[in-house]
Amino acid sequence: MTAIGRRHWAVSAGWIPARSSGPEPELSSHDVLCVLNAGARHANVRIQLVYAAHGTVGPYRLVVAPQRVRQVRVNDLIFPEAVRLEEVYGLIIDSDEPVVVQFGRQDTRQRENAGGMATAWSG
Amino acid sequence: MARSWRNWSGSIAFAPQRIECPCDEDALCALVREACASGRTLRVVGAGHSSSDIVRCDDTLVSLRHLKGIVSADRDACEATVRAGSTLADLGSALYAHDLAMPNYGDVATQTIGGAVGTGTHGTGPALQNLSQMLLAVTLVDGQGHLRHVSRDEVQTLRAARVALGTLGIFVDMTLQLVPTFDVERREYAIATDAAIEQLEELTRGNRSFDFYWYPRRDDIKLRLVNPVFGGTRPHDARELMRHTGYGHLVIPTHSGIPHRFEESEYALPAEQGPACFRAVRERVLRRWRQIVGWRVLYRTLAADDADLSPAHGRDTVTISLHQNSTLPWREFFADIEPIFLAHGGRPHWAKKHTCHAADLAPMYPRWWHFQRVRQAFDPQGVFMTSAMRELLEVTP
Repeated sequence: MTAIGRRHWAVSAGWIPARSSGPEPELSSHDVLCVLNAGARHANVRIQLVYAAHGTVGPYRLVVAPQRVRQVRVNDLIFPEAVRLEEVYGLIIDSDEPVVVQFGRQDTRQRENAGGMATAWSG
Repeated sequence: MARSWRNWSGSIAFAPQRIECPCDEDALCALVREACASGRTLRVVGAGHSSSDIVRCDDTLVSLRHLKGIVSADRDACEATVRAGSTLADLGSALYAHDLAMPNYGDVATQTIGGAVGTGTHGTGPALQNLSQMLLAVTLVDGQGHLRHVSRDEVQTLRAARVALGTLGIFVDMTLQLVPTFDVERREYAIATDAAIEQLEELTRGNRSFDFYWYPRRDDIKLRLVNPVFGGTRPHDARELMRHTGYGHLVIPTHSGIPHRFEESEYALPAEQGPACFRAVRERVLRRWRQIVGWRVLYRTLAADDADLSPAHGRDTVTISLHQNSTLPWREFFADIEPIFLAHGGRPHWAKKHTCHAADLAPMYPRWWHFQRVRQAFDPQGVFMTSAMRELLEVTP
């Protein structure tokens, strides 16, 4: 089977609103990292979080099982350190297996909620 | 030669003149006698899991790492005498071999039994008391370097000794009231915060051990229930996350190996104040602290006891703990929430972060002055009273 995806990815548009409208956690404002492992082996994913105004924090560690997708709210990452809200950040993502990475945001600061999704940059 | 010492989280670091690890009680007595004769101070340290200043010492720091294990066990009486430097994890396994168990554990089992008892460390459960209440009798080295035994008949002295912060003496052997080995079922659920609060009374009364984590970044809750297998309640409107069974010492402590350091502040509140205090903390965290606080708030229950300085003294209790990654700002966060705890009648956990001094603490404890009299009798020269301990325990007129 031909591998789908790449081993190195980057996201540069991180910024999580601190305020939300509506019932939580469904409508909590958040950034979400989506990792698809279409291959046949576990993908060990390591993430470095790069702040504009602070140092780099990481690695945050995820495992994505074969033929599975994980969608992780960046807000929920607390090891090694909770991600700061309302701080500009980017992500550098390395995997030992090819994966596909997309990145999304749910911003519910206003009642007219908005969301967006983009594919990460693959290296 | 000065040596550096730091606690588990890294926020308490100092360089005592000496760090000693006596191999037996004779060596320990000699160390205390020497400190007493030269007017120096000496503190005993457990596993270093505490993040308060109670072990800070410029002179001699004593570790009991060579004093561990079970001295004797009596299955019929459900008692054992253990060395004070034993960790809770090691004791769990060792007691299991005698078909005995501690009645409860906290979230971690890395502490020593001497440290856990001496600071009133606890688990959760409305009918379960803190770990100090296991103490039936103790052999200790007092402030003059004498080996003394406090028997189970010396009820008033034991009430002082149970949560004594190492100020009556250094515990050597501790006789503990235990229970037969038991197995339990742990179940965990995800649930909306309001739904959990509506069921709080039922959850508290209907389960052997109940607590919850509240997650500020999602404003939702994880319920954690520990019961005899097939016992306890089934929460409504909740999604089961996990379920497993096993012996208490293996299933109740869940975070002993947590790889990342955190700071913690905890207050013990009158049980009836718990829900209102939690709501106030939740509101404040959502309004002011969500930007940098991703760690959970822990809500637990605890039965009343009669130890002089136990945070659960004389009242059924709810404890609420704040957590924060040690690499992120925590002082401002804890300081902002502390007045809410105090306004609800809170008493700080002796081994976690707080800003109370003796003048604040004395009015919280009806038997404060009884404790002070016993402490004075056991350590008349104040060998165990470092400057940090004087700030905590000495009320200046």
